[in-house]
Amino acid sequence: MANKLKYEEAFSELQEIVNDIENGEIDVDDLSQKVKRAAELIKICRNKLSSTEEDVNSILKELED
Amino acid sequence: MPEIVAGQKAFSLLEVCRSLEKTITNRYGSEFWVKAEINKLNHYPHSGHAYPELVEKKNGVVQAEMRSVIWGTNFNSINDRFKQLLGEPIKDGIEVLLLASLDYNAKYGLSLHISDIDVSYTLGELQKEKQESINRLKKEGLFEANRKKRLALLPKRIALISVETSKGYADFLKVIDQNEFGYRFFHMLFPALLQGDRAVASIGNQLKRIAKVKHHFDAVCIIRGGGGDVGLSTFNNYELAKAVASFPLPVFSGIGHSTNETVTEMVSFRYAITPTELGDFFIQRFHNFSVPIQDALKLLKNKPKQILIEENHRFLQNIKSLRYELKAKMRHSKTSLNTTLSEFQHLSKSRLRKDANGILNLAEQLSRGSKSILNTASKSAQEQMEDLSKAYQRFQDSAKLDLQNKERFIKISDPINTLKLGYSITKLNGRLIKNSEDLKLGDQIENTFASGTAISEVKFKKNGK
Repeated sequence: MANKLKYEEAFSELQEIVNDIENGEIDVDDLSQKVKRAAELIKICRNKLSSTEEDVNSILKELED
Repeated sequence: MPEIVAGQKAFSLLEVCRSLEKTITNRYGSEFWVKAEINKLNHYPHSGHAYPELVEKKNGVVQAEMRSVIWGTNFNSINDRFKQLLGEPIKDGIEVLLLASLDYNAKYGLSLHISDIDVSYTLGELQKEKQESINRLKKEGLFEANRKKRLALLPKRIALISVETSKGYADFLKVIDQNEFGYRFFHMLFPALLQGDRAVASIGNQLKRIAKVKHHFDAVCIIRGGGGDVGLSTFNNYELAKAVASFPLPVFSGIGHSTNETVTEMVSFRYAITPTELGDFFIQRFHNFSVPIQDALKLLKNKPKQILIEENHRFLQNIKSLRYELKAKMRHSKTSLNTTLSEFQHLSKSRLRKDANGILNLAEQLSRGSKSILNTASKSAQEQMEDLSKAYQRFQDSAKLDLQNKERFIKISDPINTLKLGYSITKLNGRLIKNSEDLKLGDQIENTFASGTAISEVKFKKNGK
């Protein structure tokens, strides 16, 4: 659950940065920091698209309890 | 006729069918009223005929099913009455009381030949049940409950209620597991019966199990594979629809049919006509997440660079314009300095020129003055000389002419000159005779010529006046 929130937050934070950059609302001094942050966020989001962290066995175990 | 095949008495299929046909025709010779539900009307507008699929259900479960036919002319008159009395045409899912005869064909099998439908008896049991389910759910405030659930941005953990061997299940997995975009889903099957009288309990039971582990999932999909529209009545069941509507996670249904929308589908978070379409929805959801990230990546690759380039450009532009302004200012100062200088030069030159001109004028005037004086003086001296010389000449000329005239006169006065002209001098006794009166006849007169003399005698005389 925490992880899920994380990627959704990452997604919306990324959208904000993208908007700022697109609209030219970012100071040149902040630019490199924002770009670095955006790269991190993209990594989180892309991982989410192509990975699975659930395990059938652990769910089955929970179901039996 | 039966024949012996492999030691057994056997009928051909056609023989069996013909026998059946004969029995049925004998037994069901006349028309009779039948109560049934039109599960699917199957009307073909082109031919005008309809081939209704008739069913009878108990508690939403199909108990009997039979094909039927309504020929075009009958269909039109029945349909007109439906529209007139019910405000809508004959359609799927209505309970009817129909007048029919049983018809058997060796090739097409058994069917009811419908000649009329009692329109006044028509609000089908199915439709009633369906409407009752809807009304109850709405009353309980559950009808919209699941549709209002929030779906995860990436619904990638899916609990599947389906039949492992069904086509629908395979179709769905094919879409989400074999996508070409590298999207990965986690899905877990909760097997259930999706048709028949046990379906409601079976599905309900699996929904309860999923609810227990709901934190592992983003969505539930109920996927039915194949099967006609008949089995769909299960999904109008109130208990099933309620379980779906009140489920804590968004429930999707892809139960594969072509016509009626069931109550379960109505209350689902979302439903698709086919399992494939449902799978596509999830892929699309991933696209909606992935595309902005791809765009962001593209933007981050180019835009910051572009911003820096623009910034640099602006900086250079500023320097350039500063330099330009400085140059312009210097040029301006230089120009104004030069202007002042040249004005000064011009002024002093013109002043000098003015002074020099004055002097030159004076000199010229002086020179002109003295020249004119000299000229006048020299002219008058010359003129006097000329006058003098002319006067002298005139005097000389007149003196000369006078002398010449005198000389000429003198010359003319010499008698020889007259004589040379032919004249002669006549003398008498040495005296000049100018008048004939001075002579007498017989006088001897001497004639002197220019050269020589002669003596003549007067013989005749005539006096002048």
